[in-house]
Amino acid sequence: MAKKKVEFVVNGQQVSLEVRQDERLVDVLRNQLGLKGTKTGCREGECGTCSVILNGKIVPSCLVPVMKAEGGTIVTVEGLEQEGELHPLQRSFIEKGAVQCGFCTPGMLLAAKNLLDHNPEPTEGEIRKAISGVFCRCTGYRKIVQAIQAAAEIMKDSR
Amino acid sequence: MTHNTVLNWPQHLHWEDYYQPLGISEALRLLDEFKGDAKIIAGGTDVLVQMRRRQLSPRVIVDVTRIPGLDQIREEQGTIKVGALVTHSQTEQSLLIREKAPALSEGASHVGSPQIRNLGTIVGNLVSGQPGADTAIPLLALGAAVKLVTANGERTIPLNEFFVDIGKTAIDGTHGLITEILIPAQKRGETSVYLRLASRRALALPILAVCVVLSADLMKKRFRHSSITLGPVARTPTKAVEAEELLKGAPIEEKTIREAARKAAQVSDPRDSLLRGCSDYRKAMAENLVERGIRQCLERLEGIHG
Repeated sequence: MAKKKVEFVVNGQQVSLEVRQDERLVDVLRNQLGLKGTKTGCREGECGTCSVILNGKIVPSCLVPVMKAEGGTIVTVEGLEQEGELHPLQRSFIEKGAVQCGFCTPGMLLAAKNLLDHNPEPTEGEIRKAISGVFCRCTGYRKIVQAIQAAAEIMKDSR
Repeated sequence: MTHNTVLNWPQHLHWEDYYQPLGISEALRLLDEFKGDAKIIAGGTDVLVQMRRRQLSPRVIVDVTRIPGLDQIREEQGTIKVGALVTHSQTEQSLLIREKAPALSEGASHVGSPQIRNLGTIVGNLVSGQPGADTAIPLLALGAAVKLVTANGERTIPLNEFFVDIGKTAIDGTHGLITEILIPAQKRGETSVYLRLASRRALALPILAVCVVLSADLMKKRFRHSSITLGPVARTPTKAVEAEELLKGAPIEEKTIREAARKAAQVSDPRDSLLRGCSDYRKAMAENLVERGIRQCLERLEGIHG
């Protein structure tokens, strides 16, 4: 199959790649860019573990044909850490024990980041709605919600 | 489904080419060039899943999301126009829709998950033709129509002529596309409600969904007119015509509301479904939800006037 050139910004870095144009964004991120933090679960947009932030919106990267991302800006879970410092959400997930098997964590973190970017002081209901597209099959939702609440507090204090 | 089938699902999507036209005429030219082998996508949330399950295998994808001007919601002379690229998230948050077509905003808020709502479009939800589609049920009740463009020109189809069968509508995305949805904006004394029963609040197909659009004269304590739709209770989103007739001009009374709900439930012929529940249960719930929908519409109307 003829390859096509695609360019986008991932975690602040401009990348230019040759891709199969029938590839999904999740596979390009994982296999060509080595960003294996983005998991692939159901591949049908149901589980949410492949979530990335594309042009400011959280989307399931298994349902995004890579060509659709051309010219776009992408944040994956690897983009949360800044200069070796974990994001407050990541620290909070560790401290609150919000990670069990860890498979949903990348999607949960990005859903939470996307929420806090738009709504720095969410209610519990807003948090639950924001993470409703990511399945935690360990069912550890309570601690995930607590971790997001704690991170929102920390981020508020440091503003 | 055996494990073997699952393992055979391909990693790649196996289309030969992916086009992103910048205009409607270019999109139509591509459809014409590939004569049925090219398929339109916007969000792609349904088409990509169907391709993975090998229910669809277009040779060429025509992604229309880069066509400018189709991502707007606006009102012109009493008609709300929703462009082909308007997503569920946009619809859910639109103040115009919340005020003048509230049931559609409520329907859009139930589609899939926040992730799916950011990608998927209302037009795509209609074209997929599912009898339980969360935006199709309110749009049918609201009396919406779609503007369809093909190589032969443009025409407007009311939604009550649009749905043909499960997964089948007046358009299939290989010969033309819908450019916008036209919805009569609600006037004073009119409101709408969308109610949905599902096993969870996100990423769950509806066991049953109901939309009630209602106008009433609260001073004279009479219904003016109504529009009631249900799904998935038949092969297409379904209108409860007899219940609508019964409410027309009728007094606002307990008896009328209950009788209308009973009549509305009669049009439903839901299947026994392991996912959605048994037919008897779903029929009982249809009556229940329609009754609740009428009451909530009345409460909203009282709220607006009081």
